[in-house]
This record gives sequence, structure tokens and C-alpha cells, in this order.
Amino acid sequence: MQIDYLATVLLSSLSSASILLIATIGLAVVFGLMGVINLAHGEFLMIGAYTALTATQSGIPYVLSIPIAVVVTMAIGATVEILIIRRLYGRLFDTMLATWGLSIAFYQLAVLIFGTVSPGIGMPRYSLKIGAYSLAGYPLLMIGIAALMGLFVYGLMTRTVYGMKARAAIQVPEMAQAIGIESSRVNTLTFSIGCGLAGFAGAVLLPIVPATPSMGFAFVIKAFLTVVVAGPVTLTGSVLAAIGLGGGASITASFLTSVAGDAFFFLVTALLLWLYPMGISAKWRRKM
Amino acid sequence: MGTALSAKTIAVSTVLALLPAVALADTKIAAIFDLTGGLNIYGIQQNNALKLAVDDINTKGGVLGAPIDVVSYDAQSEQSKYIQYSNTAILKDQVKALFAGLTSSSREAIRPIARKANIPYFYSALYEGGACDKQTFVTGSSASQQLSVLIDWAVKKYGKKIYVMAPDYNFGTISAHWIKEYAKKAGAEVVGVDFLALTVTDYAPTIQKIQAAKPDFVVALPVGANQTGFLEQFAAAGLKDTIGVVSTNYGSGNQQVVVSPEAGKGLIASQGYFQPVENPANAAFVKLWQAKYGSDTPIVSEAVDVWNAVHLWAAAVNKAGSADTKPVVAALESGLTFEAPNGMVKLEPGSHHLRQNIYIAEGDDKHSFKIVETFPDAAPTYENEKCDLVAHPSLAKQFTPEDQ
Repeated sequence: MQIDYLATVLLSSLSSASILLIATIGLAVVFGLMGVINLAHGEFLMIGAYTALTATQSGIPYVLSIPIAVVVTMAIGATVEILIIRRLYGRLFDTMLATWGLSIAFYQLAVLIFGTVSPGIGMPRYSLKIGAYSLAGYPLLMIGIAALMGLFVYGLMTRTVYGMKARAAIQVPEMAQAIGIESSRVNTLTFSIGCGLAGFAGAVLLPIVPATPSMGFAFVIKAFLTVVVAGPVTLTGSVLAAIGLGGGASITASFLTSVAGDAFFFLVTALLLWLYPMGISAKWRRKM
Repeated sequence: MGTALSAKTIAVSTVLALLPAVALADTKIAAIFDLTGGLNIYGIQQNNALKLAVDDINTKGGVLGAPIDVVSYDAQSEQSKYIQYSNTAILKDQVKALFAGLTSSSREAIRPIARKANIPYFYSALYEGGACDKQTFVTGSSASQQLSVLIDWAVKKYGKKIYVMAPDYNFGTISAHWIKEYAKKAGAEVVGVDFLALTVTDYAPTIQKIQAAKPDFVVALPVGANQTGFLEQFAAAGLKDTIGVVSTNYGSGNQQVVVSPEAGKGLIASQGYFQPVENPANAAFVKLWQAKYGSDTPIVSEAVDVWNAVHLWAAAVNKAGSADTKPVVAALESGLTFEAPNGMVKLEPGSHHLRQNIYIAEGDDKHSFKIVETFPDAAPTYENEKCDLVAHPSLAKQFTPEDQ
């Protein structure tokens, strides 16, 4: 095995893991801070992608379309929280059912609004050459984006007043209310941020994964499993799970076949959940 | 769409309530396609094509002097719905013919139901080939039909080393088999194969393996919109200029609309139909289609496959003078031809597959295709060789190259 092949495999596996992490972080925030499993997460990703696509089609530069996608998905997320999620706190399976239904409705809405196919925006055609191999540049950029996203969420949750309130509101809601935190408003914001992160993911991944009504399906299973494997310390846990599962699957796919890569992902997930039923971070003493 | 349909259904059922069923002269057919769910990228157009064909036949006098009635069901991209609605259409609606299905798994689910009820069943999609059943008629092109011309053409154009990227189910694996077979005939060699699950969005490993194998061209068979990401990443890695990309299904779900112009330009696809095909029948068909459905989305090959299926069935009914299964199947096995949008097609009596043109088209930078070569009158050679339903009417199986 040549060194240049190894280097490209390593780099692209890291970018695969980063793409998984980007797609997962919003789900992790909502699950970790609210105990809500948002099965419509994939559809928020899709809404972000379509928002960015529509914005670029109407002449807005792609880079500026990303914040627009975040604002739109945050607004929709807040509305969904107020109308649906808020009424189902503490009822894990009911929220799963409700958000699953929501995902079907969003999917069909996308079909009705955008049809089944929309033009993609294409990937910037710069590439990196390592020895005899060349790698598309844009997916590599995702390593940096994922790192920034992780740092942003970590900072938001540990260094800001909102972050402290959010953690307080979910850990001891009565006490939080007693000291004057309006926990329902904090929860609306948290859910909205989770959806905004999904929207960001959809927009920033648009050149790699074209906007289609069904794009959410491709992400939601792996994102969901990553969060479950991560366990209670959602952020750090998700970063490690994404690198381990996503990166490992990508390396396996590079040396064996893509099917083997998928098999690796699901088998290792099953094994980890057997060893750590509450997730790999069950016994950690970190907060995020 | 839904309201017009239900109004019609109500009208029909009112008539049915008043009259005994025999007095109803209209011939009823069923359409079961994926109008919602992940496969509606194909299913909506299949359903639209069926309605257009029925309207077209009805304005010209219908079959047996009366209009055709359609009962339409949405299979929701779910296997179980195909089984449920096929039974409903046959048992409750008492249809005379069934037009249904996109995926091979849906066809394999419907085939035994149609056989048991003895109702002609038309399957209209490009597929891996080999389905053989007295009641089943296939109007899409089979993998061997498309690949035999495509591989030959590509080996001459690009060179002798081939890499295959295919979806991980029978369409992909059987296609990969045919590619190896036709490569051998052309003196070429398959240097690598990668099968991908439909949910894969990360193509970097595949692209590295392609670079390691150094092929002259890649046969890419992306299914669904997600897998167009492969073509995008392939182009972005700068490989498109040195390695050719050919496909038997690129465009069948309008992937050329999704793929960016830079990545789509120069991709080679081979299929039984592309909208830019030039002939009078296609010009008339496209005009009719766009008058009813607009011109936003290009017409996919499956739509034309359905259009051809309905017309062939109607011709058979009129020829037989009856919509009953036995005379209709006999008429369908009489070497029917039809001046189709994709050129003259002929229903092979033995294999129940279509002899039809295969087009090789090149993607341009405007989300469309230009036809580079036409292989007229390509026979479904493999199906003809394995499946002779005139001589062996009780045959009921799907032949795969592994049986050989």
C-alpha cells in the first residue's frame, strides 16, 4: 500500500466523519438539552438545503445563502416547538411519533413546492493532489467547518448565559423556574437552535448532497445512531462517535467495499450499544 | 388531480350501483405507481403518461368502441402497497389490465398476483432483465439490451479498462455481470467493482478506489437523486477529464437536472428514450405532454415506456375484439408494432419484451442531452434466448445470468 493512498484515505475519512458530525450536531443539541428525539431532523436539513438553493437561484451569493437558511430553519423550528413539541415534554415516544409525522408532512410539502428534481449548484472544482491521487476540495473543507461548528456549540452552551439557562432548564426544570428562568422560552430557543444547526448543515452540504425532498432519509438514520451511541454527554460524545463510526466506515469502504463500510457502521453501533447501553459517555463527568 | 379522479370514481360507482356490471361497456384498467415517497421522481411521470395515453386513445374512439376507464392508486413507494392495490384492482375493481411498478422488487411482487388472476400486467421501467411470465409484458429496456451496445461503444471510445459503480441490489449486481460479459466480448476488462447502498452519501472511498484502479472509463449506475452526488464529487476531484463516465440509467430519473452543468457535461447515457430524440411521433408526444403537464421537467424514459404499454394493450384489445385475457395475450403475442416516441417498437411474441431503439446520448451544459448515436431495433437478446412463452406458456421465473 502506497503512502499517498494512505494519506488520501485518512484525509477523506476525516472529511466523511466531519460530514456526519455536521449533519448530527443539531440532533445532538436537541436530544442532549431537551431529551427530545427529533425525527424530523433530516427534513430540517432538507429545508436548509432548499432555502440555500432558492436563495442562490435568485442571485444571492452561495456564502450569504447559508445564514438565510439558518434563519429560516430556526423560525420554522421555533414554530414547531410552540405548536407541537412543547405539549409533549417528557413523553419520549410521543415526540418521536409527532416529529416522524412532521417529517412526512415536510417531505410531501417539498415535493409539492419544488417538484421531485431541482438543479444542484455543483461543487467548486478545486481539488487537492496527493501523489497519484486527487481529492475534491470542498469535502475537505468540511473538516474545518465541523470543527468550527463543534466549538461554536460548545462555547454557546458553556460560556453564555443562554447556555447555562438551557442546561438548567432541562436538568432541574422546577428549580430553574424557581430562580426565574422561563424554561419554556429557553426550550423554544434550544429547539430552534437545533433546527438552525440542521438548516446550516443542509446549506453547507448542498454542493455535496444535492437538494431533494428525500435527502433527509440518507442522513437521519446515521445521525440518530451517532447520537444514541454518544449518550448523555452529547457534544463530546457525538464528536467521538462521528469520528469513530463515520471515519471507520469510510476507511473500511476504502480498503474493502462500500457495503463493508456500511456493515462496519451498523455492527460497531450494535456492539457499542451492547457494551454501553446508555451510550459511550454514560460515566463521563463532563457536561457537554 | 385527486378531485377530478374521485369525481370520476363517484360517477362510475353510481353507475355501477344502478346497472349490472355487464352492461358497463367501458373497459377498465388500473394504474399503480409511486405518486408519493422517494420513488415519485419516476412514479408521477409514469402515472401522467398513462393518463395522457388513455386520453389520447379515448379521443380516437377508445377500445372496442368505448372509452377506457382508469382506476389509479398511489403505491407510496412501499412494497406492501403494491401487493395490496394489485389485489384491490383485480378483485374489487375487476380491471382488464394492470399497469404498475417501478422497482424490480415491486414487479416481482405483482407478477404472481397477475398470474394467479390471469390479468395482463405491464411493467414499464428499465431493469436488469430476465422476467418471464405469460401475463407479464415489459416495455422498458433490459440491462443486456442497453449494455451490449453501450460497452462496445465505450470500449472503442475510451479504452479497455472498466470500473463499475452500481447500487447494491439486483439491478446493480446483474448489470455488473453483464458489463463483465460484454467487456470480455469486446476484449476489455473490468478492473474494479463497487456496490453502494442507496443511502450512501459519501463517495470519497469509491473515488479513491477508482483512482487506484486507473480505469479508462467508469460505468456509473446511480439510482435516485442521492447517488448523483457521486458524479458531482467525481467531477470536483478533477477526474472527469481523464476518465470517461457512461451509464444505463443516468437521466432515467432526470439526474441531469440535479447534476450541475460542469459535472453533467460529457457524461454518456444509453437508454431507450431521451426527450431530445428526433422523429415525428416524439414531436407529437412531447407537444401533447407539454400542453398538459408543462415543460418544467424533462420527460423520462419510464413515461414513454408506460405510453407504449398502454398503446400496445389498446391495439391488442382492438385487434382481438375483446378485452378478455386469452384473446388479448394472443394478440399481444402476434408481433404487434407501434410507432412510439422512441421510434418503431415491436413486442417480441416469445419473450414479451420490446425490440426497440437504444440511444447513446451525451450530457450537455444545459441540464439536457444530445443524441450521439442511435442503435436501431435492438433486440432483447438475452430474454429472447431464455424465454419463449409461445412455446412454453407455463414458464414463470426471472432468469438471471447466474443460472447459466
